[in-house]
Order: sequence, then C-alpha cells, then structure tokens
Amino acid sequence: MKLTKIIMTLLVFAIGITIHAQENLTGQKIIENVYYRETGEDATSELTMTLINSRGDERVREIKQYSKDFGKEEKSIMFFQAPADVRNTSFMNWSYDEEGKDDDQWIYLPALKKVKRISSDSKSDYFMGSDFTYDDLGDRHPSEDTHKLLREEKLNGEDCYVVESIPKEENYMYSKTVVWVSKDKWIGLKKEFYDEDGDHLKNLTVEKYDKIDGFWTILHSVMHNIQKDHRTIMNLKDVKLNTGIDDNMFTERMMKRGI
Amino acid sequence: MISKKLIVPLLLLLFTVSNAQDLFLSGYARTYLGALTTGESEYSIIQNTFDLNLEHSRGDVYFKVNPFLYHYSDKDLELGFRQAYMDLYFDSFDLRIGKQQIVWGKADGVFITDIVSPKDMREFLLPEFSEIRVGVTSLKFNYYLGSSAFELVWIPVFTPTQMPDQNSIWGVKPDYPLPYSFNYANTDVKDKLSNSEVFAKYSLLSSAIDFELMAAYSWDDDPAFHSEKILNAASGIVDSIIIKPEHHRLTTLGGSFSTTIGPAVLRGEGAFNNGKHFQSTNPLSAGGTEEKNYFHYLLGVDYNIGDLRLSSQFIQQAIMDYDDFLINDEFENTMTFLASMDFLRETLNVELFTYIGLNDGDALIRPKVTYDFIDGFEIMFGANLFVGDEGQFGRFDKNDMVYTKIKYSF
Repeated sequence: MKLTKIIMTLLVFAIGITIHAQENLTGQKIIENVYYRETGEDATSELTMTLINSRGDERVREIKQYSKDFGKEEKSIMFFQAPADVRNTSFMNWSYDEEGKDDDQWIYLPALKKVKRISSDSKSDYFMGSDFTYDDLGDRHPSEDTHKLLREEKLNGEDCYVVESIPKEENYMYSKTVVWVSKDKWIGLKKEFYDEDGDHLKNLTVEKYDKIDGFWTILHSVMHNIQKDHRTIMNLKDVKLNTGIDDNMFTERMMKRGI
Repeated sequence: MISKKLIVPLLLLLFTVSNAQDLFLSGYARTYLGALTTGESEYSIIQNTFDLNLEHSRGDVYFKVNPFLYHYSDKDLELGFRQAYMDLYFDSFDLRIGKQQIVWGKADGVFITDIVSPKDMREFLLPEFSEIRVGVTSLKFNYYLGSSAFELVWIPVFTPTQMPDQNSIWGVKPDYPLPYSFNYANTDVKDKLSNSEVFAKYSLLSSAIDFELMAAYSWDDDPAFHSEKILNAASGIVDSIIIKPEHHRLTTLGGSFSTTIGPAVLRGEGAFNNGKHFQSTNPLSAGGTEEKNYFHYLLGVDYNIGDLRLSSQFIQQAIMDYDDFLINDEFENTMTFLASMDFLRETLNVELFTYIGLNDGDALIRPKVTYDFIDGFEIMFGANLFVGDEGQFGRFDKNDMVYTKIKYSF
C-alpha cells in the first residue's frame, strides 16, 4: 500500500473557523483565507475512508490521527486500524513553514519492525488508493495557482464565492479547479477538477459539517471520479481540538508502540 | 517445537483466552505452495500457516503473545511462539520482557547491525522477514530523551541460527576433499550467566538525518566449522576429517543512517566485527579456521520515478589482515535491487527484488505479483530464480521455483 500524506493535511482540509465575509474580495484573497484559516494547536480524529469502485465494491480504510502545530513546524502521526493486513502500520510527517523545505516522512511496518524514512510523495499521488491526491487534501499553496472570482451564488442555501484556480505549472495533473467557498465559514463546500485535457475529472462535495470546539469541521465528504466512476467517502469522527497532545506523540517510540 | 499431543489443549487454551475481556485478536491464515521448475517439478514446499496475535493492555502494561502453527504435507506439525512478551511503559522509559523479535539498522534484506535476533535459515532467505527473525527471550530497556533513544538488550540464553536439515534442498554440504563426520560436542553454548549476550544502541530521529550507533558483545549466530584431521594408523596419512561446529564470541561496533537528498533517501549501515572465525585451508592453522576481524557495510538509495518505487543497495564484507588460505574472498560484494509498483487503486502490486553476488556472478531474482482480492485477503504468485553455479545464490541453482500464497488476515 502506498502511504502518503498526513493528518495535518487532512485536517487542514477539513477544519475552518469563521471569518466574517469581506466585500470586494479577489479570488486570490478568498483562497488565501481558506488556506490560512486557524485550525487550533492540535487535533485528534478518527478517519474512515470508503473506496467504492464502478461496480459498487467497497474497501474501507480506518485511521486514527493526531497532529500538532509546533510553531515553525507541524507534526502529525497516523495509526492504521483497518484493513487487517495494515493494522499497526503507522506513518509520521513533519512539515515546515520554511519555504522550499520538504516534509520529512517515516513509516513503521509491523512486519519489518522498524521505522523507515521515506521521501515525500509527489503531491499528485493518490492517498491510499483513494480518489484524493495530497493536493486535494488541502496542502496546495495559493501561490501555485492563479485564482479568479467567477461569481457569487448560493449552494444548498449557503452564500458562496465561486473561484476558478488555474495552475501556474505546466503539465500539472489538473488544468483547472473550480471551488465553492462558504462566505462565512471559509471552507470549500464543493470543488470541480478538470484534467490536463480540460475534461471534467472529479467532483468533491461536502455533505456534512459541524462546529466542533469552535471550529467548523467537515465530517462527511465525497470525491467522485466521473471518468472512472470511482468514489471515495471520507468520514471524520471523534474530532477533538486543542486537547494538549503530548509532544512525545510524534516520535519513533510512538510509531512502534501504536495506540 | 511442540508435540501433537499438546495442540488440542493449547488450542483450547487459546480459545479460552480469546474470550477474555478486552483481548484483541488478529493474525492470518496462509496456504503456500511452491514447485521446483527443474527436474520433475517436485513440490519444494506445501505449507499451511496459522499465525495469531493476542494482545491486551491495562494502563501502562501491555502483553502480546504470537503463537504460530506450520502444517506441512511431509513434515511434523510445527507449533511455537514467535513472540510472547510484556511491556511496561513509564514516562521516559519502557521495559519489554519475554520472547521478542528485535530489529536494528537501516538495511533491507541484509543483516549488518541487525544481529540481535538470530535468523531461521531453514528455507534460506525466502520466508517473510517477520518469519526469518527468531524471537529471543530477553530483557529490553529503552530510555527516551526527545527524539533520541537509548536501547539496552540483555539476552540470557544464546539462540543460534536455525540451519536447514542436511537433507533439505537448502542444506549446504561442506566442501572437504576427504570423508568427513560431525562432532557436535562443543556446539551448544551452555546456558549460564557468563554466556549472556548484551546489545546497546543509541538512535536519533531528526529532520536532517536518522542514525543509530550500536555495540554488541554476543555470540556468532553461525558456528565456525573447526576440523580435525584423522590419521590412519596403518598408512600414517590423513584419511578423514571430523568437523566440530563451535560458536565463538563476537564483538561488534557499528551504526547506520538514513537521510533525504532531494527526492531520494540515502541509507548506510556498517559494522566492525571482532573475533570471527573464518574457514582456512592453511595446513598450519589450528582447527582449520583463522580468527579475523571484518567490516561489513552497505550503501543504499531509495527513489521514485512516477509511481515506480526503486531501491538499490551495495553491500561489502571486507576481511582484515587477509591471507590467501581463507575460503572466503577478501572482499565479498553484493548488490540488491528492488522495483515495485501499485495498480488498481493499490490493490495490485508488482514487485521485483534481486540479490546479485558480484564476486561469483550469481543472483537470486524474486518477481512477485500480489492482488488484494478483498481487503485482508490476498493472493500472490511469484518465483525464486537462482542464477549461477557457485556463490551464496548460485549454489542453489537447482532450486528455481514458482509459488503461490493465499493469505487471509483478520
């Protein structure tokens, strides 16, 4: 199984705080507001990803995840609970504010009984065979795209900005994305992805969110690959913020010991 | 190994224990069928495996028992404990007591500083690594300071490498010009405190680099094959040899590191070993061996090209103060190469792992395809192809095989 990104990415994707809507915002500013929203000092949650193929067959991945902001670096650790053949596998990521500094990543495979340093995966890789890439999970910096506010409209009763983002990098896996950003929560409620040929590739829809410990949290979302008719359902539960996770949670000791 | 008479009560015990409150059960059942591709395509292995993990924790105390059962069509049932230990967790240190597999170092598929747990070589290097390492009854103490860790292991009773039977296709027959016989009188290391093994390791995991420094005062897991020439009283010439396997003390100092350079991970591992007895043809050498020190080191790199994961390692064993009477080469060079790729949303994996012996031009090539039919149920097809006529891989040239494994994890 390929393991890539980390909790922090997932939670950055999932959690937002309320910032009052401002008038005359540009597309760039809207995306920055989404990217830079505060997410708390630390977070704990249980993630269930259900991968559904075109025949309706399901595969379920369950992960317990912890993350903490250490100032200039963010550390996160994942413990895989299911399926059975990956149980007790753990994955740790340290990411840095320093521009150009790559994440450090380690994996612990219980069969090998050792912690192994791995190189940061390509941000275009899919996370655990799901329909989410790392970039989809929220780690893409606003400066990597050119953003344009297309319009303002309601989505499921929510006032939203609709922003189109076109990558500056040539040959990026998407030619453009279009996101519906809630005006008062600064979370993306829907996103369309277009492939390199400009064809509609995927839709991300947020189906449930709630305010937990003062932070808006997406609890249920679905990524649908239209071209292959894959779906990935992402459910977060037992989300806890600012609980004061011990610094020692993000160590080799805990990777081996598990939870 | 446990006799068949004990199986039923043991299974009943497991059943009883498994009903205990909060006990976590996991494990797998596996069927493994291998056939030689040479000769009459005989089966090289027909094995059914049941491997169970029972875990329980109460506060800062945890225990794990990992019984296993191997059923063969042509051998006795084998039942044992891969691991059976207790953990005690404290704020800044942990204790693990009992039978445990301990793994050190940064190498993949190569044992340089990874010398705490001995190896089960009854099927050469072919089993999964979790099955190659033999659990040892030991006391392990870990002290933690930030991202640093100090580990001390005390093994009160020595466990040697498990060698294949002489009749096994993995058995290696000694190469002597005269008839020989074995005398195992000095082979066993007596169970006593002074024969303990001690291992120590300092490790650091940081953004820039991960490294380990280790030291060991142990026994060589592999016996030295001392020999005694037998003179024929009538003719006055040597007409046979008695081989006397014996384990010797080994002192090891070593370390390992891994770091990221751009998109690649660079790994290294090395050890200086003092007190190894190498086989010698020197007529003046006492007992047919000579004691030499040797370096054993590795450099490896892991990198990705798109979705293709690649890894390569260069390994060298260098004998110091070498003389030409030694059977081993002064420098023994080996390489490994791994290519692995996932398909179908990571449910299909195609992998090729190869050992290449550079001295003898031999190799072990191991392609395999694994498909997760459903979560926790996988089917694997693979081959083990030995290339060459001599060397650590070429000597098994007649053991080329294809195999399939079907595994259900729970």
